Amino acid sequence: MPDEKLLQVEDLQVEFRTDEGVVQAVNGVSFDLAPGETLGIVGESGSGKSVTNLAILGLIPQPPGRIPSGRALYRGEDLLTANTGRLSQIRGRRIAMIFQDPMTALNPFLTVEEQLTEVTRLHLGHTHDEAIAHAINMLEQVGITGADKRIFDYPHQFSGGMRQRVMIAMALSCNPDILIADEPSTALDVTIQAQILDLMKQLQQDHGTAIIMITHDLGVIANICHRVLVMYGGRIVERADIDSLFANPRHPYTLGLLDSVPRWDADHSAKLRVIPGQPPDLAKLPPGCAFYARCAYHEDRCKLSVPPAFERPGGGDFACFVDVDAPIMAKEAK
Amino acid sequence: MSSTAATPGANRSGTRAATPPLLDVRNLSVHFPFRRGGLFSAQHGFIRAVDGVSFQVAEGETLGIVGESGCGKSTTARAIVKLVRPTSGEVYLEGQRIDRLSDREMLPYRQNIQMIFQDPFASLNPRMTVGKIITEPMNIFKLYERSQRKLEAMRLMDLVGLNPRFLNRYPHEFSGGQRQRIGIARALAVQPKLIICDEPVSALDVSIQAQVINLLVELQAKLGLAYVFIAHDLAVVRHIAHRVGVMYLGRLVETAPKAELYANPRHPYTQALLSAAPIPDPVAERQRKRIELQGEVPSPEKIYGGCSFADRCPIAEESCRGAQPVLEGAVHQAACFKAGL
Repeated sequence: MPDEKLLQVEDLQVEFRTDEGVVQAVNGVSFDLAPGETLGIVGESGSGKSVTNLAILGLIPQPPGRIPSGRALYRGEDLLTANTGRLSQIRGRRIAMIFQDPMTALNPFLTVEEQLTEVTRLHLGHTHDEAIAHAINMLEQVGITGADKRIFDYPHQFSGGMRQRVMIAMALSCNPDILIADEPSTALDVTIQAQILDLMKQLQQDHGTAIIMITHDLGVIANICHRVLVMYGGRIVERADIDSLFANPRHPYTLGLLDSVPRWDADHSAKLRVIPGQPPDLAKLPPGCAFYARCAYHEDRCKLSVPPAFERPGGGDFACFVDVDAPIMAKEAK
Repeated sequence: MSSTAATPGANRSGTRAATPPLLDVRNLSVHFPFRRGGLFSAQHGFIRAVDGVSFQVAEGETLGIVGESGCGKSTTARAIVKLVRPTSGEVYLEGQRIDRLSDREMLPYRQNIQMIFQDPFASLNPRMTVGKIITEPMNIFKLYERSQRKLEAMRLMDLVGLNPRFLNRYPHEFSGGQRQRIGIARALAVQPKLIICDEPVSALDVSIQAQVINLLVELQAKLGLAYVFIAHDLAVVRHIAHRVGVMYLGRLVETAPKAELYANPRHPYTQALLSAAPIPDPVAERQRKRIELQGEVPSPEKIYGGCSFADRCPIAEESCRGAQPVLEGAVHQAACFKAGL
């Protein structure tokens, strides 16, 4: 059913040539995205979550980057082999991206008006007046008061939360099918983060945009996403809808991650459970499971080969030979 | 964990009592002057980064201070150790006033009060080995025999979970979490009683955060340290603190023992902050009710006649704009005219 999938990524690999050797940032990632859904990608720094999405948009500089294999099909069209001209038609128009730091993503020398109208004049063929009217409308939609005056301000005249709203307005101004949001609320304060997440949910309802939400924050995932991919060492180690993932993590890394996050709404008298050790060096990935050295459940076979994806009963999968449910249930039975 | 934690208000009434609190901050203010308009404009104003903050920290206790960016929590931390000069107010360390001391006079007190910073990349000298970084404070305070210092550094590395064999390595050879451990070892090198931790885990990955938090808790139990723990993450603070203070626009608006603060927040700002903090649990996320705050944190240059939160407060009345509310209450204090209602 190819028409149901807006985006299909198959066996994507991305590597970077560095002084320390070849860094294998993404190692065979496959996932798909349905229209109107919010897919979370969670993982720590270096897990490959951002690089995966940069590769989809053709934003990996080559060299030093290289994409040895993979396909990224947007409505059946492979973005990885598309030429620059075609990519420029898609980027900003069909697939838009917002970044973590709205100060560096906006051009400080141009007014918001110049930056917002550029997109629609290019992609939608708006005239100057049409583009300005549309831009003001977009700014109003993202909750900027006095949009008809503020549009002529420069980025530094906006606060951090307001700049992120401007970024969202810009990303959504051509009504894209897919919005890739890379840690959009990480640099913001919690009260502003809550406003931005609510705004994204609202806009998704209004426009039916599919969202890929890249974050390290499990709270953000729980708030906004429908499905989650958990990434570790450049691979997807678990995927599921959020309820089953949080209620029943099957990969030891997911389990460890959920256990090591403190919650403000629960009392902690005991120590936090931690995942010992450090994330893997992507230039020296082991032949087996990348989580082997930190895993409490590891067995000999985990060292020898990368575990394939096993199906989760309710949909989704996890890449682990060991069923973490079994020891947990045994412990609870005692 | 320390038993003194449960009695934060115990020596509030008599600070000149037999044993003064380890740290006593009274009415601390830090105002930064700024020039409005062009380079030669003479019109000056002040940013009130910290405006009349008072709190105490007992030995072995952790006081968490939370708030959003610009609320003055980091400036408070820096003013206590005099990395910025307080505009007014008093800081007492074990009953000794330290805020008016010159840098030279302050030096002996620095042995008891150390600091850990947010950025483990910027706060370590890249040209010094780990051994040098950890022994430097010992050299300054002339602790231990010269020949003993290296051994002591190795003992500290072991204590914070670093392999002592890495003594001669440079900071760039370590990961973020390991660098934060180096920063902790450096702070411990002079056997302080109090460590000011300014967002020590917010630059770290989730799984590494938990390791460093556990380390700080363990060290407190072993060495009887007191912490002032500054963070924006309410969950992290709940985990590590005994008592929590919430700051907004340079003022403490609420302080309480942590269980009390999280279960029963009295200041509307604390309530809004908690309602906005995401919970890593989709079921809880769907069930909760969010208090929406209007607008954003205003600039601290604005001077308020009344409560500085009134503009964004969901329950503010006209009377709130008349006078600035002060912290009221015994153990659980809130600076709000309507908090008791």
